[in-house]
Amino acid sequence: MTKKHSFGTFIWHMLGAAWDKMVLWFISKMFAWALVVTLSIPHRYRMSHNNGIAARGKVRIVDNPEFPPHDFFEPGRTFPARVRHASATFLDDAMNCIRSMSIKFSDQHMDSPFDMEMNTGSINLFWSARSFLQFAKLRKQKWGVEYHDYYRKYPQGLEGAKLSLRRNPTSFHNLRYHSLTPYLFFGKDGLKRYAKYRAKPFDNEPETGITTNLSDWDTCNQRVFPNETRTRNYLKDEYKARVAKEGAKYMMQIQTRIAADDDSPEIFNNQIPWDEKIFPWQDLAVVEIDEILSWRDSLMTSFSLNNLPKSLRIIPAKSIYDYNSLNYMRSHSEVARKARIFSYRLFGYPPEIPYDDNRNVSEWSGKE
Amino acid sequence: MTNTNDLTPKTVCAECLKKTKIGYDDGGRFFMPHFKSINHVEVGYSRIITNPLTIFAEWLLAKFYALKDGLVALAAKLFPRRPKIYGKQMDSWLVGKIIFATQENVEVPIHHLPLEFWGRTKLGQWRKLSEGYSAPDGTFRLPFELRCARRFGIRSLRFEICQISHIYFKDGQANTVHNTFHCIKISKSDLIGMEYNLRNIPLCFWEYRTDVKNPRVVIKAHGKDAPQQYTEARIEAINEQMIPVELTKIKHLEQIKLDSDSITLAEIQADYPENLTVCIEKKLPGYTRGDDWFGERMMNGMNRGLFLPDTEEEGAYWMKYFGKHNYDSNDEYAFPDAMIKFRLKADGLPTPVAIKLRGPLNAINRDPWQERTFTPADGELWQQAKRVARVNGGLCTEVDEHFAGTHANLEQYAIAAYRNLRFSPLTTLLFPHLKEVVLINHTADGILLRQYIPSATAFTYEGLMARIVDVMGVMDWKSFQTMKPLSEAHSYAKAEQLFWDLTYQYVDYFIELNRKEIIRHWHEVFCFSEDLVNHSVPVFLSDTDMTHIDPRDRARFEEMKEYLTAQFCFDYDLPRQHRDGHLRTVSPLTLTSTLSPEQEKEEIQNLKKACTYMIFVATFLHTWANEHQYEDIGEVLYNCLGLRYGDKESGILAPESDLSIAPDLTRSTQMMWFSNLLSRTEYGFITRNEDHDINPYFCELLTAKKDEFAALGVIIEDIESRTNI
Repeated sequence: MTKKHSFGTFIWHMLGAAWDKMVLWFISKMFAWALVVTLSIPHRYRMSHNNGIAARGKVRIVDNPEFPPHDFFEPGRTFPARVRHASATFLDDAMNCIRSMSIKFSDQHMDSPFDMEMNTGSINLFWSARSFLQFAKLRKQKWGVEYHDYYRKYPQGLEGAKLSLRRNPTSFHNLRYHSLTPYLFFGKDGLKRYAKYRAKPFDNEPETGITTNLSDWDTCNQRVFPNETRTRNYLKDEYKARVAKEGAKYMMQIQTRIAADDDSPEIFNNQIPWDEKIFPWQDLAVVEIDEILSWRDSLMTSFSLNNLPKSLRIIPAKSIYDYNSLNYMRSHSEVARKARIFSYRLFGYPPEIPYDDNRNVSEWSGKE
Repeated sequence: MTNTNDLTPKTVCAECLKKTKIGYDDGGRFFMPHFKSINHVEVGYSRIITNPLTIFAEWLLAKFYALKDGLVALAAKLFPRRPKIYGKQMDSWLVGKIIFATQENVEVPIHHLPLEFWGRTKLGQWRKLSEGYSAPDGTFRLPFELRCARRFGIRSLRFEICQISHIYFKDGQANTVHNTFHCIKISKSDLIGMEYNLRNIPLCFWEYRTDVKNPRVVIKAHGKDAPQQYTEARIEAINEQMIPVELTKIKHLEQIKLDSDSITLAEIQADYPENLTVCIEKKLPGYTRGDDWFGERMMNGMNRGLFLPDTEEEGAYWMKYFGKHNYDSNDEYAFPDAMIKFRLKADGLPTPVAIKLRGPLNAINRDPWQERTFTPADGELWQQAKRVARVNGGLCTEVDEHFAGTHANLEQYAIAAYRNLRFSPLTTLLFPHLKEVVLINHTADGILLRQYIPSATAFTYEGLMARIVDVMGVMDWKSFQTMKPLSEAHSYAKAEQLFWDLTYQYVDYFIELNRKEIIRHWHEVFCFSEDLVNHSVPVFLSDTDMTHIDPRDRARFEEMKEYLTAQFCFDYDLPRQHRDGHLRTVSPLTLTSTLSPEQEKEEIQNLKKACTYMIFVATFLHTWANEHQYEDIGEVLYNCLGLRYGDKESGILAPESDLSIAPDLTRSTQMMWFSNLLSRTEYGFITRNEDHDINPYFCELLTAKKDEFAALGVIIEDIESRTNI
């Protein structure tokens, strides 16, 4: 039986929805400016993925796509590309970290027709703007141990961490990266769809760095192993060597589903992967990397969810609890990115991460 | 006025029984002193309120609390907790696991606890956001709508863990009432969607004590931090009956403190209400010290002892009371083994023909193996030996039959039941009979086990506890059988059989009516059984290496084992469980958490017998021991639970006039106070059904047998529904 709303209820709901959006907008802006004030300007930091390495190459849309036809993803279309791999949040590759791959369909520092940010793990540690703020609030990091309060309170966050953290992978190249929160996808047929992206090694090299049977406390402890012989930069060094020797080749994939009025909000939940049997991954593009960028270019290379074609943009969010609010908030943090670039001009570029014995740190100074 | 020609023992006893029957008609007066709680009862000076100013202040305080309760009730009416659950899009969950705050090595989950998630608006209204139960593994996942919980209008959030507080019957239907056992406040800002983990919630919920060997519950603070509370009416029952007795005791204690020569034992006795033996003695002097009375009370009185057939002499029976020999004891009180040989008279009642005492009878010869046998031909010594046997019998009955056999025995079932039964219909069958026993046992710990018995008998506290564990080592529901009547005059055994049969009829009816639901929630029965078995005491002597002890000790142990086994109907040959390295006394009801069709017949049968046993112990068995105390241990010189050695060579074989072996004045008044306390303050009877918690069918069955019980000297209106005194 359908429930009829009175005019008053309708107005009340409209006001409520407007209020929710206003709160989301306000919090997103506040968050971006908080990043500017606390990280970008004074420390010249990204929000989290400071420990990275960028490279350039090209990306080519597959010749025989099986995903719905799309104007932007024309078969065989080729773009110059940049890829940046990073470890969040610590400046030490040998720690148990989430690893990332960001791809830009251009060879520019910022401008691009298509940027995509992806992390290891099939589910995330947070699922909405509100949960992300809680995640940030409960970090309580000390010498590589963090988020114990967050994990204790939020089992999905803990599960996300267990599935996302990679301990001592052999290469950035053999990991699997997921965009997690879905995006819009308006294909040539005009149908509204949602899409998720992921990247994997072209040759399907087995993934490394996965740890199993982690206890709750082990998950909090991201410190390097005792007597660790890997250096703070071993992953970046491996990637440099790999690209110099043979290059790095990835397959980008897409998963789409048709939008329906009665879709549950849970389809946007990055904690719930779409069923691959119903929504199979389709090859999207081949990414070939052949040149490592300098440290300075690596710092300048920046990615944004606003760099997307209109037909592939983020899904609008309704409130800070909406699962799509994560991407909304990310897209509103543009100012922090710009402030960081500006801070390089003011204070110069941060130095490369040294090969010293300051392990388990996320500060360039080596002090916590 | 009785005609002197009618003064036969039978008529005198009947008249005295009627005269000394305890009534419940004193409503008290405004300035009458009163107790605030049963836990304020003390062997010495109970904490009673006597000062009129304090009474008035207390009255004002009571009014204040009444006003407060009224306001709470008004608030509950203004802001009712409606069952409607707010929210449609259940997109978030409260998760966690409820476990016992046990000190054991492994987590023990608490299953099937009712759980509720409430929000309170800024205007005070309650919004139920979710409800559910903990799973068999103790985990829970309560769905709720995040937006409802985080609404601007919601002021606070609370997660409540509930328990069954009481059962009541209305129109023949059982109703279960829950109350909040534990509440966790949740910060609104912590709710961010998906699951919010309340993690492991350890509850001190019907926890087992670890400082004693027999299963006892942890009670941190009586009346405040206890798994149960008495009803207000139960406290009032104590006030009505005990205040005059308490004042008498206080008067005696003050007099003894001031000048012990100012009062005599006879005066102490006279100050208390007349009991059965005193009454009979006034009318038939010497009768209560005679052989007929001795035999009758051993058979149908408080003792209701076991008559073990003599293997060598046909028609002869032995009744044995084992003394302090192998238990920690003091040197002031005698407590030899007393073996009484009986023969049945023509009227079917027993008469003692010999009494064998083993152990020291005076302070000079402490040989524990000395034995003396007395017969009626011994004249005065026979009277004295009977007194020793009577006193030993009194103490053994109090400790073995009354405390261990009903109170402590029942507590193990009560703890296991309250820890595990929630969904099962067995809650409505058992809880009304198992409630409050843990509370009264907690009180008994202090005033009886720690204070009175160690000071007025041969047992030390440690000895007493060891004895209780030993005796509980032969108590198992599975092998229990009612007493076989020795003759037509064995009215106790006949009444016991009658009550057992009707209880079984009630249990059988109930279980058949609810069989489907009971089987559906068999997991609860399994957990109940596991707790029961795991925490039951080891089988008597199962932990003792009999090969390395003195042969005389071994023989005595064997004799004790033989008698106790018969007394408590224990079957050593039944298959029993070894748990934690001990052979456990109580048999399991089931060993599986689901009931298969092949097991169903046998295990339902087990369940019926175990339930019948619990109800039988809580009601009839305890009532018998309790209400006959006033008759059999209500006169100090007749039966005082502990005779002192004195300083003469005759020791405890001395006439009643030798007060050096009787309890001292303080112990005497305390003993009188005790027997009054235990027999006078009963509350909660089956047929009166004060709390409306007894199944009407059980009342009907009992009422239908009223005349049959009356013919056996049992007044059904006096049978308690639970063990709470």
